[in-house]
Amino acid sequence: MRTLLLLTALGAALRAAAFCGFYVAKADASLFNDRSEVILVRDGQRSIITMSNDFQGNVRDFAMVVPVPVLLRQQDIRIVERRVFDQLDAYGAPRLVEYYDDNPCHPPVMYESMSEMDMTTSTSMRSMARQEREAKNLGVTIEARYAVGEYDILILSATESTGLKQWLLQNGYKVPDSAHEVLDPYIKSNLKFFVVKVDLDRLTQTGSTLLRPIQIRFESPKFMLPIRLGMANSKGSQDMIVHAFTRTGRVECVNYRTTKVPTDRNVPLFIKNGFGAFYKDLFARAHRREGQNTVFLEYAWNVTPSFNGMKCDPCVGPPPMPREFAEAGVDWGGFNGGGAIFYTRMHVRYSRDKFPQDLVFQVTPNTEHFQARYVLTHPATGDLSCAEGQEYLEGLYYRRQRELQEMNALAGWDMAKRQYYVNEVRDRLAPERRNGLDVTAVPDGGDDGPPAPPRLPIALLWAAGLMLLALIGSALLGAARPKLA
Amino acid sequence: MHHLLISPITFLKRDARHFQIIFLATFLLYGIMALQWDAEWQRYALLFCTCLAVQASFIRWKGLPWHSLKSAAVTGLGMSLLLKAGSPYTLVFGAAVAIASKFLLRVKGRHVFNPGNLGIAAAVLLTGDAWVSPGQWGSGATLVFLVGAAGCMVVLRVGRIDTSLAFLATFALLDYARNVLYLGWGADVWMHRMSNGSLLLFTFFMITDPMTTPRSNKARIAWSMGIAFLAFVLSTRFWINATPIWALLVFCALNPVLDHLFNGRAFHWIAPLPPMPLQPTNEQTISRP
Repeated sequence: MRTLLLLTALGAALRAAAFCGFYVAKADASLFNDRSEVILVRDGQRSIITMSNDFQGNVRDFAMVVPVPVLLRQQDIRIVERRVFDQLDAYGAPRLVEYYDDNPCHPPVMYESMSEMDMTTSTSMRSMARQEREAKNLGVTIEARYAVGEYDILILSATESTGLKQWLLQNGYKVPDSAHEVLDPYIKSNLKFFVVKVDLDRLTQTGSTLLRPIQIRFESPKFMLPIRLGMANSKGSQDMIVHAFTRTGRVECVNYRTTKVPTDRNVPLFIKNGFGAFYKDLFARAHRREGQNTVFLEYAWNVTPSFNGMKCDPCVGPPPMPREFAEAGVDWGGFNGGGAIFYTRMHVRYSRDKFPQDLVFQVTPNTEHFQARYVLTHPATGDLSCAEGQEYLEGLYYRRQRELQEMNALAGWDMAKRQYYVNEVRDRLAPERRNGLDVTAVPDGGDDGPPAPPRLPIALLWAAGLMLLALIGSALLGAARPKLA
Repeated sequence: MHHLLISPITFLKRDARHFQIIFLATFLLYGIMALQWDAEWQRYALLFCTCLAVQASFIRWKGLPWHSLKSAAVTGLGMSLLLKAGSPYTLVFGAAVAIASKFLLRVKGRHVFNPGNLGIAAAVLLTGDAWVSPGQWGSGATLVFLVGAAGCMVVLRVGRIDTSLAFLATFALLDYARNVLYLGWGADVWMHRMSNGSLLLFTFFMITDPMTTPRSNKARIAWSMGIAFLAFVLSTRFWINATPIWALLVFCALNPVLDHLFNGRAFHWIAPLPPMPLQPTNEQTISRP
């Protein structure tokens, strides 16, 4: 029951999304901000950023403000289909892989399959867009005004934050009081503001009720994502998935640590029915363990269409194809050898106190593959009453203990509550073997779900600190000792 | 006989490089074990051993004292803390360049470049297979304390605390002026930037190499401030990452020239303040013909 509830919660969290960090609520829409997705293409000094938009409210309340480093032209802005995000998400998401044990009493049958983490998102919205009002001059310049797809887009520049804030307020945007502490630095850094609203008539013409992702492209040495603006009106943490594409290799964060999520762990079979909930708790724990201020790597792979190596192991979704690349803004590569394409998927959970700076990235030549992968092993089926079969079951008993321990360590799920998982194996053992089992291995009860204690780094820091103190102390003692001539 | 019975502390204190090796090795272990750095330990071992092997070859060739192997160990550990590469050969290349430069790029009996710095730069610029991850340490007060305390112990011993402090203070002031005073970011943004582990390591364990810093105290302070200034400009104007490394490379390249100029000018600059006594007007009138 608990698991089921958690699963539902995950679904809700994933659907309530928004591109975190970038929204400014209009009117009284409460639209923040659990998860957002961004495709980040970097080629030399060129950035192509696609922001996915799972906005779940009344479209007339939809508004978005993104700081951008240059004045965008109309041809720099386009609308792409949401499908590309779904495909990338399906391809790069953390995965479960299943293996099957052979029956030691019977001839072996080997096969392997995989199941995909249910991370699909749905969008639903309707209703009207509001007519755009004229801006008053508050030191705010409307640099350009574009109609792209269903969106009305303004490019603003401003001379100071009070004017910009006032302008936004006058135009019906809900701007939090603390926004000026972010707007000022952006204005002084010569950033422009990319302001987006929906035109209802044009949205109707598209025949869709969905707001499609917006893609912008520009040349700038700045390779970053402005997350601070979205944190101005959010107290909690927000999640962002970054799908990055480069010619050379992985993308990593420059001003925060980039670490891998735990991978290649053997977990209990029942995880399959609640993998979403499991991964959510696993991520929450990893996030805490690493100090809540790291960027997590979830996937890294060479996805060049002409690349002959394995595209994934296992693939939970089809690898992206030239059509998806074009949609994502990767305008090189293809089957004809236009250059390599390397895909990096990062997951960052950020909050105001742990992420004071906007995210800055760099492209590295690092082409090492990585995937977040959790392994299920199905037991052998059939009659296991032969001696080898009993031996196998005993091994299986201990293996399941370890799987429970792994589950507990990763996601904090209570082992005692799931003791049936090992008991059902024990019950299949002959009584004399059953009595010989090592009962000390039976796990105690424990936490059910995250918080995980931050363990290793703190401990090591202490160890290092103590070592230093000892050294300093010994050096001082050594210095104090009278020297013989 | 007496020499054989020295205490470990006395042994440690005999050479500042001992402390460098201990601290750098601790940081490396911490990075690999606690921070889960990407590369496997064999890579670090390879880089380290390449440094030692190249140094040993030159020691044999030039007939130098064997204790200079410690310098190579420091270089190897320092590079391990900063340099990442796709192929192990890139690491070997970087390490070989680093150590060989000490013997091959010499002006007036002194090597020009900071070996670790040059090795990293060569690997990154020439192979296209290497990179530096400025974010790999993260940021935090604990890091400031640990790296700072360890660093101070070492640089005080080699008499290069002025270099560290001049660099860090200049960089921090410039960054504060721009980010907090001018742009208006909160002080936490500045703190986050300044408590970056890579920056601190650079400050206390790379720039301070006594062999590749200018000899004169004043020149050295100006030199460190120059590095800070260049690093600041590169990062804020051009959005380049890991700028202290590039700034140090440039300033080391200028070292033979600057050393000469600074020493020459330093004497003139000692009294840039206006000379106090302006009374001898009378004398001037008197001496006029």
